[in-house]
Amino acid sequence: MRQYSGADVSGLTRFSKQKHPLYVGILGLIAIELSVVALLTVSCLYLMLTAPAWPPAGLEPAPLLWPSINLGLLIASMAAMRVAGNRITAGDRRGLIVGLLTAVSLHALVLVFRSLEMAAYDFRWDDHVYGSLMWTISGFHFTHVASAIVGTLVVAILAVKGYFTPERQLGVVVDTLYWNFVSAAWIPFYLALYWGPRLI
Amino acid sequence: MIHRTAALSLVLLLAACSSEQAMTAPASEDAARVAGLWWAFLGFASFVFALVIGLVIAAMRTTFTEPAMPIETRRGWTLVIGGGVVLPLIAVVGLVGSGLWIGGVVARNEEPADLTVEVAGKRWWWEVIYRDADGEEIARTANEIVLPVGRTARVLLTSDNVIHSFWAPNLQGKTDMIPGRVNESRLTPARTGRFRGQCAEFCGVQHAYMAFVVEVIEADAFDAWLARQARPRTVPADPLLRRGLAVFLEADCGTCHAIRGTPAEGEMGPDLTHLAARETLAAGTIPNTKGHLAGWIGDPQKVKPGVLMPATALEPDDQEALLAYLTSLR
Amino acid sequence: MDERREDGRPGDVDWRERRGADPSESREAPGGPPTEERQEPLHPAIEDDAEETRRLAETWAAPTGFVGWFTPVNQRIIGRRFIVTAFVYFVLAGLLGVAMRLQLAVPENDLLAPDIYNQFFTVHGTAMMFLFAIPVLEGFALFVVPMMIGTRDMAFPRLNAFGYYVYLIGSAIFFLMLVVGMAPKAGWFNYVPLAGKLYEPGIGVDIWTTMITFIEVSALTAAVELIVTILKLRAPGMTLNRMPVFVWASLVMAFMIVFAMPAIIVASSLLILDRLVGTGFFVPEMGGDPLLWQHLFWFFGHPEVYIVLVPALGIVSTIVTTFTQRSLFGYTAIVISIVATGFVSFGLWVHHMFATGLPHLGMSFFMAASAMIAIPNGVQVFCWIATMWGSRIRLATPMLYVLGFFWVFVMGGLTGVMVASIPFDLQVHDTYFLVAHFHYVLIGGSVMPVIGALYYWYPQLTGRMMNEVAGKISFALVFVGFNVAFFPMHQLGLDGMPRRVYTYLEESGWGDLNLLATIGAVVLAAGFATTMVNALASLRWGAKARRNPWDAETLEWATESPPPPYNHRHIPIVKSREPVWDWREMKERPVVTGLRSDRREVVVTSILDAEPQAVQVLPAPTIWPFLSAVAASVGFIGILFHPIFFVVSFFLAFFSFVGWFWPRRPWQED
Repeated sequence: MRQYSGADVSGLTRFSKQKHPLYVGILGLIAIELSVVALLTVSCLYLMLTAPAWPPAGLEPAPLLWPSINLGLLIASMAAMRVAGNRITAGDRRGLIVGLLTAVSLHALVLVFRSLEMAAYDFRWDDHVYGSLMWTISGFHFTHVASAIVGTLVVAILAVKGYFTPERQLGVVVDTLYWNFVSAAWIPFYLALYWGPRLI
Repeated sequence: MIHRTAALSLVLLLAACSSEQAMTAPASEDAARVAGLWWAFLGFASFVFALVIGLVIAAMRTTFTEPAMPIETRRGWTLVIGGGVVLPLIAVVGLVGSGLWIGGVVARNEEPADLTVEVAGKRWWWEVIYRDADGEEIARTANEIVLPVGRTARVLLTSDNVIHSFWAPNLQGKTDMIPGRVNESRLTPARTGRFRGQCAEFCGVQHAYMAFVVEVIEADAFDAWLARQARPRTVPADPLLRRGLAVFLEADCGTCHAIRGTPAEGEMGPDLTHLAARETLAAGTIPNTKGHLAGWIGDPQKVKPGVLMPATALEPDDQEALLAYLTSLR
Repeated sequence: MDERREDGRPGDVDWRERRGADPSESREAPGGPPTEERQEPLHPAIEDDAEETRRLAETWAAPTGFVGWFTPVNQRIIGRRFIVTAFVYFVLAGLLGVAMRLQLAVPENDLLAPDIYNQFFTVHGTAMMFLFAIPVLEGFALFVVPMMIGTRDMAFPRLNAFGYYVYLIGSAIFFLMLVVGMAPKAGWFNYVPLAGKLYEPGIGVDIWTTMITFIEVSALTAAVELIVTILKLRAPGMTLNRMPVFVWASLVMAFMIVFAMPAIIVASSLLILDRLVGTGFFVPEMGGDPLLWQHLFWFFGHPEVYIVLVPALGIVSTIVTTFTQRSLFGYTAIVISIVATGFVSFGLWVHHMFATGLPHLGMSFFMAASAMIAIPNGVQVFCWIATMWGSRIRLATPMLYVLGFFWVFVMGGLTGVMVASIPFDLQVHDTYFLVAHFHYVLIGGSVMPVIGALYYWYPQLTGRMMNEVAGKISFALVFVGFNVAFFPMHQLGLDGMPRRVYTYLEESGWGDLNLLATIGAVVLAAGFATTMVNALASLRWGAKARRNPWDAETLEWATESPPPPYNHRHIPIVKSREPVWDWREMKERPVVTGLRSDRREVVVTSILDAEPQAVQVLPAPTIWPFLSAVAASVGFIGILFHPIFFVVSFFLAFFSFVGWFWPRRPWQED
């Protein structure tokens, strides 16, 4: 069979960002994790709404202060990541590194506060299902924040080595995408765990 | 009421032609309605199945001859919409309508009942407790539920271990017994007889031999039966039986089993106060005869592998006395 | 390119004309009638440079040698491994099924002890679902879809390899538990509290939850791969409404996996926490609820049924098109049906819980939704009938399996609609009626199309044809054996025989039908065995396949059998739903040029219209996915013994992922 050229792709970019399959792939990963977040939240609400008392009799709802501060820190870290992305688009490698490290520090602070907060719980995960939920969901989010930190540290190391350019910044883009998910995932947990007991 | 008579005649008609534990041999109006539903489903499904297979064969008729032109678009869509949308829609409407109606009738758990029976799923047997109107226990037995014909029993279903499912197909569909919950089922037997039921939710190693019997008797016979079941035991006068009770207590049977009126007050195993009045042992596994009872006590694992009851080795004399005592518990 | 290109069977031209007889239905494609291309000025023809073809093959070649076993990332190799491994589990789990049937052949049989029987049915169900059905359909999708959409690999080849190793390790450990007699025995559904530590103290359920998570991870990676590959790597011109139905079905399957599998991951994670560290999610005394497990499990479990059904229906559409040599009737209706099935399947899970005593009115919604699923499936069945209407069907083995599918699947579908009715379900739920129903749906709706697919795509898998005579014998045995085995089970269920019993009493009266079912099961097993032996023997003795042996219309046949490592010498440009048939009419075809042959480049196109947007450079073979899978396994298994493995595996996985993703030098070349 005769064949002829219907499209010449030699001139197309090899450096796409939002159009790159990896970008869509990270969206897929986020969709999966979002389902996990949703199911954990719904399970929490299910147990909360079917329980005779929530939290169990004799317990006060967990204090609001530290988780609220964490929420602020997580949102601030999203802004830092955004700035970092803008800097590298403008060709400012230094700005990228500073932005990434700021975001990492904010997340690290979240881990510190979370550890202190969990250490201060006056119940264990095997006391009652309320405790199980508090520990499991906090631990789940803790692990995600930790993995976002180590992942972004690798991106920062590559940035120091000069890997990223205004053109080649897919790594930063997808890392930011996942970072934003990890940070925002705290919102439903925060509402269900800390506001839920106060609102029902 | 006409439909009541019709349902009852259906009961009698179909009961004659099916095996013991069949939903197609209903012994209550509820079960008869569902059996009727099944025959309706079967008729409709047979029609649809024949239609589809007929169309497939018709579609293929040119396979060994000259192929025809592809189906006309219009006719094709008529086929697809008629068969793929309208036909299922008819089925859905009929099914949901009948399901809501019959399901609503069957699940009328709020209405008052004539008596209350609490059935608890155990591993792997059934504890049956008769309660009065105030919820006070009247009598406790196991694996055999006796019900008066024509009266509605409110059956409270519980479990303190794994999930079981209470199912006597001739009388009613199944309802699960879930730890932490109390479920309800209503049994209104329309004819007397013995109806077998079985656990329908996988519950561990002996799920297979976890059966029970619903014995439906006349209402006055039921009252007499319940009064007899409510009576505790006294220490027997006969020396052999007295020795049997002693053997029972010495062998620690009372740790798990209760015989009301004696020091045996265990709650792990079935209440044996009126053991000899039951027709089967080991939750419907073996007939309640002296020989089977001896085999069961001597080596339960052989009869029902995995059962929680330990084997009890007894001297022949002791065994004889124990069997004599147990078979006297009518 | 290749001199075998145009050796179609005599009579093809005749079929060609008939296929196009109804232009309003079949040939309608955006962008004008296909004849337009021929009226344009003649494009200069491309002659393939042998040296460049050789270099392309070298670039895409899979590594060889012992280490090479652990490093390939090419989609066809990974897909083939999925298929082969899944069939191994099909045979093993099938043998368990036969053993169970032998135990049930006569009442009060003691061939299998209850403990062993319970392990067998737990492993049979788990393996058929997680180790066979999902992986084999993923395997076919991974193998076929990239070729079908005209690209050279999946979007993330290394992730693909990772998914396979995770599946292999997880499934092997799971099955080994059976060999050492420590397999789980609480059923594939693992209802708590039976699956809790108190009633299942052994390690079986721990291994179950962990290995299921492994296999889910593997399914999820494959799902994301498929979604991205299908959305972003389609050949230029393959707009969404020109995508082959099998690709649509794979896409919907992938989306269903993405949204359903997290439920079982959450459920099994909560269960393992309950078992290992004493949390109380499912413990009523601690405020937990056993029904939460059922909700989570069936929120996964019901879509799961459609996850293995939808791509199989895609296979049916593919085979019907090819073997009638007709355009599929009602392509749009079929695609909408597939998508609708995907959506509705998420609203049905409570129909597995009708007996749990939930409020009747609330459950009625699920009764209606469950019955509604009949509509999209009915539409597909009647579209296939309309396609077949008056055609000359080529009765080769794949088509025979599809015809068998009609019989079996329709019957399973009808009983499925019945059990949507709450009062009826309460009588037959957890009885052999249900066993009959879902085997009709799963074997009819999934396994029979999959066996058909094996015969159909075998030339692309191996370059040879499977034996037709053996194929027909196999079909006859499967069809007869299946119906003899499973039809009597309907009656057994109506007669009150519950599921999951290792034996039954003589007085029950169930003996005769059970014996009949066992005889049928042995015949059925012989039928499947015939196909398995056929597949193995044809590897060596099968006739060499010519190009496009079934005269199919989709792009996986637009290359040699077996395809070269790069799938397509040139990425084709598509102008209709049946590109291969078009090219045969027009005797010419447009292709993409400008991809480099010294590294793995593929064209990235837009999601809706498949306009070329960019070029993606795919990574080369590597050992890192294998190492990552091993690292994850160490963590997941270790965690059953000590919590420290959670931290250990976190860092092991982290380092292996860094090794995996670390950019290749020199960076400037990208």
